[in-house]
Amino acid sequence: MTTVTISGLTKRFGTATAVDDLSIEIGEGELVSLLGPSGCGKTTTLRSIAGFVEPDAGQILFDGTDITSLAPERRNIGMVFQNYALFPHMTVRENLRFGLEMRRVRRQEMADRIGAVLDIVQLAGLEDRYPRELSGGQQQRVALARGLVIEPAVLLLDEPLANLDAKLREEMRFFIRSLQKRVGITTVYVTHDQAEAMVISDRIVVMFDGRIRQIGDATEIYAHPVSREVADFIGLSNFIDGRVTAQTDAGRYLVETPVGEVRCRSALALGVGDPASVMVRPESIRLSRKRSGEPDANSISGRVRDRFYLGNIAGYRITCADGSLLQVQEEPWHAGAIGDPVWCVFSSDLAWIIRR
Amino acid sequence: MIGEAEGLALAGAPVTAPQTGRRVATRRRTNMTVFLVLPALVFLGCFLVAPYVDMLVMSFRNPSTTAVYAPGFTLANYRKALTDPFYLEVLARTLAFGAITTVVCATIAYPVAYHLARTRSRFKGLLYAGVLSPLLVGVVIRCYGWIILLANNGLINNAVKTLGWLPHGLPLMYNPFGVGVGLVHVFLPFMILPILSAIQSIDPALEEAAQSLGASRLRTMFRIVIPLSLPGIQAGAILVFVLSISAYVIPILLGALKVKIMPTLVIQLLIDAFLWPFGAALAFILAASGGLIVYLFILATGRLMRGLG
Repeated sequence: MTTVTISGLTKRFGTATAVDDLSIEIGEGELVSLLGPSGCGKTTTLRSIAGFVEPDAGQILFDGTDITSLAPERRNIGMVFQNYALFPHMTVRENLRFGLEMRRVRRQEMADRIGAVLDIVQLAGLEDRYPRELSGGQQQRVALARGLVIEPAVLLLDEPLANLDAKLREEMRFFIRSLQKRVGITTVYVTHDQAEAMVISDRIVVMFDGRIRQIGDATEIYAHPVSREVADFIGLSNFIDGRVTAQTDAGRYLVETPVGEVRCRSALALGVGDPASVMVRPESIRLSRKRSGEPDANSISGRVRDRFYLGNIAGYRITCADGSLLQVQEEPWHAGAIGDPVWCVFSSDLAWIIRR
Repeated sequence: MIGEAEGLALAGAPVTAPQTGRRVATRRRTNMTVFLVLPALVFLGCFLVAPYVDMLVMSFRNPSTTAVYAPGFTLANYRKALTDPFYLEVLARTLAFGAITTVVCATIAYPVAYHLARTRSRFKGLLYAGVLSPLLVGVVIRCYGWIILLANNGLINNAVKTLGWLPHGLPLMYNPFGVGVGLVHVFLPFMILPILSAIQSIDPALEEAAQSLGASRLRTMFRIVIPLSLPGIQAGAILVFVLSISAYVIPILLGALKVKIMPTLVIQLLIDAFLWPFGAALAFILAASGGLIVYLFILATGRLMRGLG
């Protein structure tokens, strides 16, 4: 079990800064996802941990030992590549044996370890196949097995599910998650898919432009994003801009907006008159024929502008008094045909202030 | 022939097919393609197959001093070529030359090809031009260039002598060394280009994967890159070997006649000794033994490449 400490990691390619002063501590056996759009520096960070990228500044430590200038082959990492990078001229067994040969593991132990890891990834019986004779999902599991069989200090996964079809991808999320928990290996997982990151991670690191914007578990990142960028990247959101008019309780504020007063929560220390942007997720809003009577609830009036059917849910777009649009997810045809007046009701607990 | 076979298959198919008109058009097009290869076939037939057949027949003829060959057939030419130690030695030397040139070319070519395949340098185009440069100058001119460098009173020897390092100079030409230098120089591109394209088709992530599993750069090279580029090495080796054992101009100019190899010997026999049937027999023995070696080489490397699919 290994801890990974990254401090002040910086990497520039020409004039572009891929990773900018990135620091994070990853605990023993923890699975941390680096999540962000392409070009946000997540892959560069992972490749720095692997040793394929030489950082311009900063340090990477495994268990407190500085490995920043260590060659990749001496870092004891297991890496799974987006396209799997299985050796095409070797059978499954030879692929798995490669790392063990490099470590001069004894013959009998090799066979035992390869057998054990193939059981874990449920590929026993396919030892003598060549990679091209396997399906995408099987290749993916061989790649995982090859990274695990060497019993590395850290497992690094670079978009490992990106090349699988949608259904298999969802299955593999759970598979990787339970596998990682069973083996208990410290893991860094790079993905641009927010759902994948939310299912799989202990903690998610949201990155933009080479910088960490937020670190937290799935709930924190989704319900309490620190910025509009993060909120936008993780799911759909409504933003209602306004100014703080009062603090009602610890972490609770009243915000005056063009669509009326909104009660909301915040982790920020705000004063009266401060600009605030209130984030409400579409699924937090209920559509109702009348204003809510509850003191903690917010009600905003509007008209149904359009609606669309998605099976389990329906999407509504509501035009508010000032002409702005609110996106709402509701049960299908719960309320309102196009043009009907409705109230958008949401709890103050689900209205979250982010800095404007 | 293949085109015709396809055409017949298609002609049988469209009876119940709804788009009969289109199928017929396709069939006609397929038949037309036969005519496209016709010029090439005629050319090869006239200038390759016919002379070969002529030579093959000639190699079984009796020699004549007044004509290319005398009437009647004989096996004497082959018997002499395959029993006289002199000719066997020349044959062995020729094949050894080919093998050594191939190995030296591969050794020099591989690092160059790897660098070219993986470089992101702005001067990549220039490097390509450098690789192709031996082919951009005619073979005779290139050889005279080497003569200027390698001759007994050439640049290198003059320098060595004036500097007083070696008062008698170095024997750089009119020996196997000079011929070898010339052959390697010209045939290097034929080794580099196939290896280059083979390496380019190897995903760089494979090398990273090997390193992540604990392999050093060198081990990655020998366990991953070289095995995966074997098809390129194989192609390059065959090209260089075949070209080397049949090279004539370079051995003549850089070896004079002091380096006895098959192609120069055959020409001597044809032109100077006027032994056309015997020369033809020697040429066929060279071609057959070269072909046999290439065949065995393909078998051997094929086993190594079994996993490549």
